[in-house]
Amino acid sequence: MNTIFGLGFILFAGLLSAKLIKKIKLPAVTAYLLLGIFIGPSLLKLVPEGILGASGLISNIVLGIIAFGIGQNFSRYHLRRIGKTVVWISVLEACGAWILVTLIFYLILRQPFYLSLLFGAIASATAPAATVMVMREYRAKGNFTDTLLGVVAIDDAWCLIIFAISLAISQAIYAHNLAAFFLAKVFFSSLLSIFGAFILGAFLAIVLSVFYRFVRTPTELLILTLGIVFLNIGIAIWLNLSVLLANMFLGAALVNLNRYSFKFFDSLKIIDSPLFLLFFVLAGASLEINILGKLSIIGLSYLVFRVAGKILGASLGAKISNAATSVRKYLGFGLIPQAGVALGCALVAKSDFPQVGNMIFTTIVATTVIYELIGPLCTKYALRKAGDIIIH
Amino acid sequence: MQVKEIMSKEVISVKRSTKLRELLEIFKDFHVFPLVPVLEENRRLAGIVSFRNLIDSLQSYHSDALKLVPFLDEEEQDIFKVDITDDLGDLVTVEDIMEHEYIAIQEDTSLDEVYNLMKLHLKEEFPVVDRAGRLTGRIGIFDILEAVFRQKGIIK
Repeated sequence: MNTIFGLGFILFAGLLSAKLIKKIKLPAVTAYLLLGIFIGPSLLKLVPEGILGASGLISNIVLGIIAFGIGQNFSRYHLRRIGKTVVWISVLEACGAWILVTLIFYLILRQPFYLSLLFGAIASATAPAATVMVMREYRAKGNFTDTLLGVVAIDDAWCLIIFAISLAISQAIYAHNLAAFFLAKVFFSSLLSIFGAFILGAFLAIVLSVFYRFVRTPTELLILTLGIVFLNIGIAIWLNLSVLLANMFLGAALVNLNRYSFKFFDSLKIIDSPLFLLFFVLAGASLEINILGKLSIIGLSYLVFRVAGKILGASLGAKISNAATSVRKYLGFGLIPQAGVALGCALVAKSDFPQVGNMIFTTIVATTVIYELIGPLCTKYALRKAGDIIIH
Repeated sequence: MQVKEIMSKEVISVKRSTKLRELLEIFKDFHVFPLVPVLEENRRLAGIVSFRNLIDSLQSYHSDALKLVPFLDEEEQDIFKVDITDDLGDLVTVEDIMEHEYIAIQEDTSLDEVYNLMKLHLKEEFPVVDRAGRLTGRIGIFDILEAVFRQKGIIK
């Protein structure tokens, strides 16, 4: 099978599988992942080598676009509007999963610290799409729904920051092979990586804003935006900065610099869907079924303690911000799905830590499929308990 | 030529508290639903309502709230079968459906700049505001075309 035929096949099969899975009210992302697992090298072997070889390229582009979009969360308008409840809950549920998974992996499962930290950081991500689909299906309305929507929208921004810090620390420990690491040095290098990503993103946001004046048509706007996003990804890779953070900062700076910034984000929406489809199918295809058996304890612990961390963190955040009892009790149950951002972080970890990369990635793909299947049920439970939907 | 020379100065506007029913009543005899400015007490422009936002009122959530959700499948809701009752007209206000991200034109903008903005953003009309952000008029694609035809002497 040649590469272009393979691309066509993936897009076509992806569309069909998404249509099919919609019948049982699951998000398209789940269909793409399952399709990838089926047609991937572990099972049907229908994905051509050329595409598998390009998966690094496709995922960097897709990660850049996702992170760019997440940057919109930092607009002044948006920041003014979100309340302290959403901030407290989102920060604490992300940190809750991060800290709990890291500690369990390090202390109980006796995994190396850098590996535990990576799993912990990936655990902080959430995928809002599956949650929102349930809200939409049951037309959930109320204070609980509003809070949940606010939390799922912003928490991936926290995840990107947590992941950048954890990645820098893990790299430092790994490179220097330190049992007890030099805290100052590690701290400095992670700070440098975050600061560098910020400078790069902000600089390119200014460039984009300046060139926007010469743009006359929607096509030119798309070309300009995509060009700048690619430049940002490329320079970040070249300078060894975080691709995810650099693009999040590009989006964040742009949304505050340019009054019409929403147009840049909207313009990418025309082309991002087929790229996302490819990304998820390739993520599924990278699942190594033969090592799944060895990962059962790790996978199971990740599944359980990520959720426990989120529920505890959300509950603590709700308590601190004096939110309603229903929010304190049930909000964590709406935060179970994980998808794009978690897979993206796992891919970065895979390329930076080749020895353990496959193990991290396979665990995250497998748990993503499970979370995407049980997540919607948990969200439904939470919404019903909170009284925001009535199911007869 | 500047926008303020040819813009329409009389614009139908609504308030945040205007009910959906009242909004629809205003325009029920129009051929099309225009871009409706939403004004604060001091005539400052707070947002706009377009026919897309009318579609929003039939869906479960405002598209603005879901904009930040990546990989969200588009809602395939059949507006002909949507399960709503007639009290929606009183329950939904302009505040619930209006758009906060919109393009407003300054009065002294040149016509070719506005025309370029229309092409770039695929819009056919914009609200016009003064320096303080107060609504002073509305400029549509036909206002601009009319000005061009007038200039060429095709219409007087």
